[in-house]
Amino acid sequence: MAANNNMPTALDKEQIFGMAEKEMEYRVELFNNLTQTCFAKCVEKRYKESELNMGENSCIDRCVSKYWQVTNLVGQLLGSGRPPM
Amino acid sequence: MTEDSSNTSAATAPANNTNEAEKTSAIEPIRLPTIEEVRGQDIWNNCAVRSVASGIMGGGLGLAMGLFLGALDNPIQQDTMTGRQLFVYTAKQMGGRSWNSCKAFAVMGLVFSAAECVVEKARAKHDITNTAIAGCVTGGAISAKTGGPKGACFGCAGFAAFSVVIEKFLDRHE
Repeated sequence: MAANNNMPTALDKEQIFGMAEKEMEYRVELFNNLTQTCFAKCVEKRYKESELNMGENSCIDRCVSKYWQVTNLVGQLLGSGRPPM
Repeated sequence: MTEDSSNTSAATAPANNTNEAEKTSAIEPIRLPTIEEVRGQDIWNNCAVRSVASGIMGGGLGLAMGLFLGALDNPIQQDTMTGRQLFVYTAKQMGGRSWNSCKAFAVMGLVFSAAECVVEKARAKHDITNTAIAGCVTGGAISAKTGGPKGACFGCAGFAAFSVVIEKFLDRHE
């Protein structure tokens, strides 16, 4: 964001596009990490059947919910002026 | 194999190449499930639906078993009864026994499935201990009526062992 100081104050298309691209990359990275973490945690390595059974379903529900909560919490803490901890 | 088929003639070579390409790339693209498919699969995640379905299946099994075992029951005064009386007696025996065993097996299936579903959802793991715990609950519930606490313990242990053996047997066949 240091580049903002050198550019004019009016946001032009390229800046918006760059921000959107960064946001998209962040989202994709978040999704990939989420699926990898919860898959490694919840699904057994030896596949016995093709569908998710109930235990795996509830494990994935909990894992995704926790991951999402933690991500939001950490994002809020990082973005709110960085209180010293 | 690919060398021979592509060297035979120029006219058939493109057709053979497309066939090879189709065979090697027969992998379909990933297709996300539709909302109806998701709902259809989600029905089986509901504990109530699962336990009722198991209860119905257990009832069917109990009916069949009761019919079979009731047909084997012979009356005491077999010589003095006529053929028609014998038939009526056997039919009543079969009906009574099959209804009793239908109820017993339906309750057993319902309790076992409900317990296993609840335990698996709580533990969030698919293990053999879910089956053992559900078997213990079922055996304990059935034996507690007639045997008291000690009978409940033995029923728990026995039914848990039985259900673990059956589960391992079924898993090996899969």
